Amino acid sequence: MTQHWIDIKNANAILIMGSNAAEHHPISFKWVLKAKDAGAKVIHVDPKFSRTSARSDFHVPLRSGTDIAFMGGMVKYILEKDLIQKEYVVEYTNASFIVGDDYKFEDGLFSGYDPEKKKYDQKKWAFAKDENGVSKRDKTLQDPRCVYQLLKKHYERYNLDTVSSITGVSKENLLKVYEIYTATGKPDKAGTMMYALGWTQHSVGVQNIRLAAMVQLLLGNIGVAGGGVNALRGEPNVQGSTDHALLWHILPGYHGVPTTAWPTLDDYLKANTPATKDPKSVNWWQHRPKYMVSLLKGWFGDKATPENGFGYGLLPKAEPGVDYASMFMFDRMYAGKMKGGMIFGHNPCVSMPNTHKIRAAMQKLDWLVVGEVHDTETSSFWRDPSVDPKKIPTEVFLLPSCQRGEKDGTTSNSGRWHQWHHKGYEPAGQSKSMGWMVTEIMKRVRGLYEKDKGVFPEGILSHDWPKEYNADEMAMRINGQFTKDVTIKDKTYKKGDQVPGFALLQADGSTTSLNWLYCGCYPEAGKNLAKRRDLTQTPMQAKLGLFPNYTWAWPMNRRIIYNRASVDPQGKPFNPELPVILWEDGKWIGDIPDGPAPPMAMEKGTYPFIMHTEGHGQIFGPGRVDGPFPEHYEPAETPVAKNPFSSQMNNPCMKVAKSDKDLLAKPADPKYPIVLTTYSLTEHWCGGGDTRNTPYLLEAEPQLYVEMSHELAAEKGIKNGDPVVVESIRGKVEAIAMVTVRIVPFQVEGKTVHLIGMPFCFGWTTPGCGDATNRLTPSVGDPNTTIPEYKACLVNIRKADKVTELAI
Amino acid sequence: MATFSRRGFMKITGAGVAAMSLGQLGFDLKPAYAYAKALKIEGAKEVISTCAFCSCGCEIIMHVKDGKIISSEGNPDYPISEGALCPKGAAYYSMHVSDHRVLKPRYRAPGSAKWEEKDWDWMLDRIARKIKDTRDKDFMLKNDKGQDVNRWESYFQLGTSQMDNEECALTHQMCRALGGLHIDHQARV
Amino acid sequence: MAKSIFIDTTRCTACRGCQVACKQWHDHEAVPTKQTGTHQNPPDLTPNNFKLVRFSEHKIEGRVHWLFFPEQCRHCLQPACKAASDSYVEGAIVVDEATGIVVCTEKTKELTAEQAQEVIDACPYNVPRLNEKTGELAKCDMCIDRVQAGLIPMCVKTCCTGTMNFGERADMLKLAEERLAKVQKEFPKAELLDAGDLAVIYLVSQPREMYHQYAQRELRPLNRADFLAGLTRPLRNILG
Repeated sequence: MTQHWIDIKNANAILIMGSNAAEHHPISFKWVLKAKDAGAKVIHVDPKFSRTSARSDFHVPLRSGTDIAFMGGMVKYILEKDLIQKEYVVEYTNASFIVGDDYKFEDGLFSGYDPEKKKYDQKKWAFAKDENGVSKRDKTLQDPRCVYQLLKKHYERYNLDTVSSITGVSKENLLKVYEIYTATGKPDKAGTMMYALGWTQHSVGVQNIRLAAMVQLLLGNIGVAGGGVNALRGEPNVQGSTDHALLWHILPGYHGVPTTAWPTLDDYLKANTPATKDPKSVNWWQHRPKYMVSLLKGWFGDKATPENGFGYGLLPKAEPGVDYASMFMFDRMYAGKMKGGMIFGHNPCVSMPNTHKIRAAMQKLDWLVVGEVHDTETSSFWRDPSVDPKKIPTEVFLLPSCQRGEKDGTTSNSGRWHQWHHKGYEPAGQSKSMGWMVTEIMKRVRGLYEKDKGVFPEGILSHDWPKEYNADEMAMRINGQFTKDVTIKDKTYKKGDQVPGFALLQADGSTTSLNWLYCGCYPEAGKNLAKRRDLTQTPMQAKLGLFPNYTWAWPMNRRIIYNRASVDPQGKPFNPELPVILWEDGKWIGDIPDGPAPPMAMEKGTYPFIMHTEGHGQIFGPGRVDGPFPEHYEPAETPVAKNPFSSQMNNPCMKVAKSDKDLLAKPADPKYPIVLTTYSLTEHWCGGGDTRNTPYLLEAEPQLYVEMSHELAAEKGIKNGDPVVVESIRGKVEAIAMVTVRIVPFQVEGKTVHLIGMPFCFGWTTPGCGDATNRLTPSVGDPNTTIPEYKACLVNIRKADKVTELAI
Repeated sequence: MATFSRRGFMKITGAGVAAMSLGQLGFDLKPAYAYAKALKIEGAKEVISTCAFCSCGCEIIMHVKDGKIISSEGNPDYPISEGALCPKGAAYYSMHVSDHRVLKPRYRAPGSAKWEEKDWDWMLDRIARKIKDTRDKDFMLKNDKGQDVNRWESYFQLGTSQMDNEECALTHQMCRALGGLHIDHQARV
Repeated sequence: MAKSIFIDTTRCTACRGCQVACKQWHDHEAVPTKQTGTHQNPPDLTPNNFKLVRFSEHKIEGRVHWLFFPEQCRHCLQPACKAASDSYVEGAIVVDEATGIVVCTEKTKELTAEQAQEVIDACPYNVPRLNEKTGELAKCDMCIDRVQAGLIPMCVKTCCTGTMNFGERADMLKLAEERLAKVQKEFPKAELLDAGDLAVIYLVSQPREMYHQYAQRELRPLNRADFLAGLTRPLRNILG
């Protein structure tokens, strides 16, 4: 979230799209309804009418996978009616930037496409630079090569007829949403967008969110109270686990993974530290060397020296162009290339797409360690009802994990609040925290390497590994410490002192920090700000609901990021009723600003979008691998025969796994005419391991169901409560029919398209509840993130003669 | 260990309307009755935790008595939830005491159809041995272009967004120390 | 002072936090359930489910109305259940004098099966259930243990959206009237259900029969139970 949960109440319009917030983030509706009480309009755009729709002003059904068409139509509406927040767009976004001559867009493809590699040469989309190397601009927005004009041209095609025909949304509904939401383009009005996996889990997932951000920039809705692009992060600490990089492609703190293209630390820093010649651009990533060296110093301690590149050489190097994401990791496992690994609190045998393949892949492992609270479909893959355990050679270790209340530590909520939770009592039975497991496993591995040596022992033994797992000690390490006595700006810090904030991190090895974003949370020994539970705030902060003394938010306790965009270049709030920051007596009050510099128009003022090299919000986004402007492409499996926007049917860069189990239905396949969308549900979480094993929750949602319209049910002779079989080209799944008025057939490109929806949390270890819905979904992913396309694939449905997976 | 005042206490507000009784209306009624029931969390220690599900981060008060959790409810001080919880958060206590939990390490031998319970030392030693043997066999110092790569491609780590930040930091560090590149979790699903 | 719960169904998201929190506070057993084509589960109140969110869906003039009704004992000001049981076992069902909460005590065990059924039938909202294991009648006790200790009932504490509210009866009636006036601007047929007679006051935006059978008082052919249930009617008229 660029904002935080409470800030939702400050919105004048709320567009919930790609999210079912009331069901999956029930507490968010406390704040949605507060906004509604104050007169905000709440709009829900989603394939099905859900509990979110029930409490919104209105619901607009949309065919799954057509969000870009829908939002592209909104961009066209905004530009045609000139509803942009002019000053914001001209001053704070790259709308006025001139794009270089190499950029082109023709028939669904941007310039620089290599059809063999399915990749673009992104250099073709660079901005034109002046003689000083600063991007050229035309603040009148008239230059035909400026971003504003290119944007206008790009979305010219997104007219009401075409958008309505492809999305299945009536023109009346399109106009209703466009009109209400774009009214927030007025400087003193704000609209917020709440999204979740309904936007990310598509082969165009990143571009869905890009387009949302673009609309928000055009309307001046980022950085202001009640605005923002708000990812409702789906899991307890998924914000923190992303920050700390339980991901292959980054190191903690969003540093790209080292690859063979950068053999030394110097190479790495040179390639990854952007420079700008524009004095008003903060260009925050210029500080990367300080953060990266502090991370290496934190990992390797005394063994990290300037001479050895602080241990950079010890790190594994990825092969450029190879994707190590889980979708391809399982592809390699299925091909027999993986030998062993560890799975903590994750149930891929239920939650990964094309689960048949995942389950078959697991059988090829030599060994598997699972850290879990319960025995799941993943830990017990070798006794899945469809397999013969005798034929499975895998050694499996199931390590009992304790529950949250049995350990100390922090999690980061969606608004980036870093909250300490306290251990209430000793872990039940012999269960242990996962931190303890990781620490102890590595201690024993280190013991073996110390004793017997082996291959590349220094890779392991050079790490400064803790003697025992202690959450408080780790929290101090994450924040970072001085490694020697240092004097900075007349203040002396002693060796071993905590670093008070990331501005003091150094690139010379004098500081450590396992994650620069969290530096400042533990600024001195005994002062862990994540433990704060102080409700005090100034009247200005109280009006916003900022609670700056309650726990701590990264970065530097900033609660609304990009908040410098909430004021005009002179420093006056766009919305004087709800200022986020105020320039008073030569300093900012309110929220922590994005840097202390004075307002932009002043001599030392800076641009608000500090994380971008150019300092401007990116309406034109040359950093995405699949194009600088979002373009509508159909899902990998689509019920239509033709994309009306271009002859390019699917995202040309989409990631596709290609084993014998990775089958895809062809466009408008008559055997699989129905669109399936999948989701979580209120009472269960993700793969369901925790919640199916909590009897009260299983009582409320006991079995797998499939939601469908009365029209489809009548066509198929299915009655509410009937057991049915849902089939895709990859597999079949049994479920109970939930026939409902909440799902309607869509009229798409002149034909009726039915859509059904299923939760994915059920699995065979809970007897009679059904088994993985994801046996139906394909291993296809977004090209930027490799997040699989769970939200739209093709299936068929029929009444079941008999069932084996469901107790009926 | 922090304890906090219960702000969830009901406010005793001004006088309510005295309900008219049937007695006043001329019906014959049994006498009024003062009912008493003990509060199970009386005297329990209150400890702040957080919900283990979606990222609203709802804070939960655990009631702990004699070293055991006996109840849980929302922390009314948490400004985002103000003490409220969804059903997953509301089930915090029952999730902690669920008899479905695995409470001892379990081992499944190759080809076996059942779990065996083992002690932690045996498990950890065996896991460390598996790691070392596989890593020593498969570790790649250089790629086919002769560049230093220091990686172990046949190893993977998955999960988890259920971990605390402190655990995540160590888990990432473990992966890189072993030479791992295949590391992923729920942020990519 | 008499306590009341005000339930504004127009704010309910049917998250069922209240349903689960109620079970957990009362240490209720989980009930085996099946998916039958609705989210409503268990299908009805049980001795282990004092609170149940009921779901009903309608499509009227192209608009979907998905209605949620967090069902529980209404804690009638003049409870027919108590009147019915008093004639057999005094003190089986009591009204707590300090709070007005209607409680089924252990003494309900002493009722015969027929008598227990008569008590159940007396309830115009079909709320009490017989616990076959203990032989007791079971229903919402408004968390009297919490209320007596100065805490609010668990369902109210847990509610995410301000649907559930608890306090002095006068305050709850005032809140209910204020909310009603607001809701009626969009839904002219909105009303408070039998507010004058009940300590648990529901605000609904649609005709009450659209929620479920017992959203409204159920009247059956005249028998002893109905006579007792009917006792509450003149009271409402008096309170106006």
